[in-house]
Amino acid sequence: MASLNTFGAILSHAVELESQLSAWYSRLGEADKAKAADKRRVKLERARRENVVEITLEPIEGLNADDYTLDLNDDSAAGQQAAAQVAARFYQDVAPKINVRAAQRTLERCGREHAG
Amino acid sequence: MSKTIKNYVNGEWLDSTAAQFSPVRDPATCELLAQCPDSTAEDVAIAVEAAKAAFDEWRSTPVLVRAQYMHHFKVMVEDNFEEISRIVVREHGKTMDEARGEVRRGIESIDFAMSVPVLMRSDGLEDISSGIDETTLRQPAGIFAAITPFNFPFMVPLWFLPTAITCGNTFILKPSPQTPLSTEFLFEMLDELDLPEGVVNLVNGGVASATALMEHPDITGVSFVGSSPVAKIIYETCTRNGKRVQAQGGAKNYIAVMPDANIEASVSNILGAAYGCAGQRCLAAAVAVGVGDAYDQLKDELAKRVAALKVGYGLDETSQMGTVISDAARERIEDMIAQSLDDGADLVVDGRNLSVDGYENGSWVGPTLIADVEPETTMATEEVFGPVLSLMKADSFEDAVDIINQSRYGNAASIFTNNGKYAREFKYSVNAGNIGVNIGVAAPSASFPFGGQKDSFFGDLHGQGMDSIEFYTERKIVIERWV
Repeated sequence: MASLNTFGAILSHAVELESQLSAWYSRLGEADKAKAADKRRVKLERARRENVVEITLEPIEGLNADDYTLDLNDDSAAGQQAAAQVAARFYQDVAPKINVRAAQRTLERCGREHAG
Repeated sequence: MSKTIKNYVNGEWLDSTAAQFSPVRDPATCELLAQCPDSTAEDVAIAVEAAKAAFDEWRSTPVLVRAQYMHHFKVMVEDNFEEISRIVVREHGKTMDEARGEVRRGIESIDFAMSVPVLMRSDGLEDISSGIDETTLRQPAGIFAAITPFNFPFMVPLWFLPTAITCGNTFILKPSPQTPLSTEFLFEMLDELDLPEGVVNLVNGGVASATALMEHPDITGVSFVGSSPVAKIIYETCTRNGKRVQAQGGAKNYIAVMPDANIEASVSNILGAAYGCAGQRCLAAAVAVGVGDAYDQLKDELAKRVAALKVGYGLDETSQMGTVISDAARERIEDMIAQSLDDGADLVVDGRNLSVDGYENGSWVGPTLIADVEPETTMATEEVFGPVLSLMKADSFEDAVDIINQSRYGNAASIFTNNGKYAREFKYSVNAGNIGVNIGVAAPSASFPFGGQKDSFFGDLHGQGMDSIEFYTERKIVIERWV
């Protein structure tokens, strides 16, 4: 089980999650959703780059990537809703673990967008 | 076949005249990444000649234009952020988060250099006597050099180079031969900037090139970051040769933890402070002094959480701590741990003889926690520069301050407390250049000088902040009368 035990592990998982969603939505012909996911990916990359604060890097506990696996085989509306729910839950769980407010805000906003 | 690193002089990549080369290895995989030349006095002389030839044109380049180069440089670093971070991981062994943090702090120094047009402004006064005005001019001072360490191979050069050249000086960098790859990349970006030839120069090597820089009559000043014994030599050599010098040395940084502190939250931060970059930073927490009841709580909480830290290859983002720089460093650190046991300390978490799956030949030392360290022992007084945190007990706040002030080093000290009176007294009475209150790594941001006292600093003006503007400029007083 892959731990989300560092600032970078969490942000990189978020980046990967949005990349997967963007590719999936593109395949499904959901251009607006694909574009939104890609926009979030860019924001998250920026957060990873700009909000890593050397003096407050601390180990993070209690999060595992396997708890937030997307099922991208179910192309139905229900499948899309389920994927969005997983993403929303991911952001809801990880945001409080991040000790840099700007990065936390980015994660919270991504979560709100997925929750609709 | 690994590549041989070149020097960058007068806008060109040149082979060194070196006869000797040292291997640059990934300390986790042991892969040979490059060969670094031990550049000679002749290589240094060529670089100084180029920097000297470039000075007049560069100093007369408008300061706003010089600052504009820094805007473009920052964009390049941002665009290459991930690649630079990966290079730092591979040559140093730290984790990806730590490398990203290093690059980010380097960018802060470029940001600071963009403010040089404001910071170089100076003052004046009309009518100091009838019809006579007096003003101060701040001018670039000449050719500067920096000799930088392995532990922050990308960030530390940026403490110096951007501000030095934006002030109108020309510059020569000599990075650590253990980690020359991120500075090579840095100079590839500088090359893309199309600065006038000779403004920035890179000479790779060790003692020979460092000595040549310190002794060359055309170099105005030298910045150094490294160990205290070497910092002292640098300071003495440079001053003997009539140069400005700022030589930042080693450290033994203490953390006082008061009984009123939030132990759990404090330990989270202390873990990063002690084991970040595998303890290889001059601001690493080396000794935690538990005051009164805090000692046992601190020991228990640390024992639990230190043992849980995940050590692994830096490019794996789930690694919370990476390698030390080399096998020689590993052996030295392990010897110091053994010595502390001979001195009667209690080994709570032992990081020796660690092996990491898939990277069995790496230079690993696991996070180590040693309790009941006595104040006069080597572990309490000497810099380890590795992932080792010692615990000491103090009966009172005053005892803790006494223990801290006995150190011959004075780089940083921190206190964890919820009591403002203790925080105030700590700031007031502890003899260290960087003070943390509920922060384990008291690292000044780029607009503040990087403090350091006692054997942790030799010189007058520190790196970063307004001190760096003073260091890199000459003040001229103009008194004028027109009749």
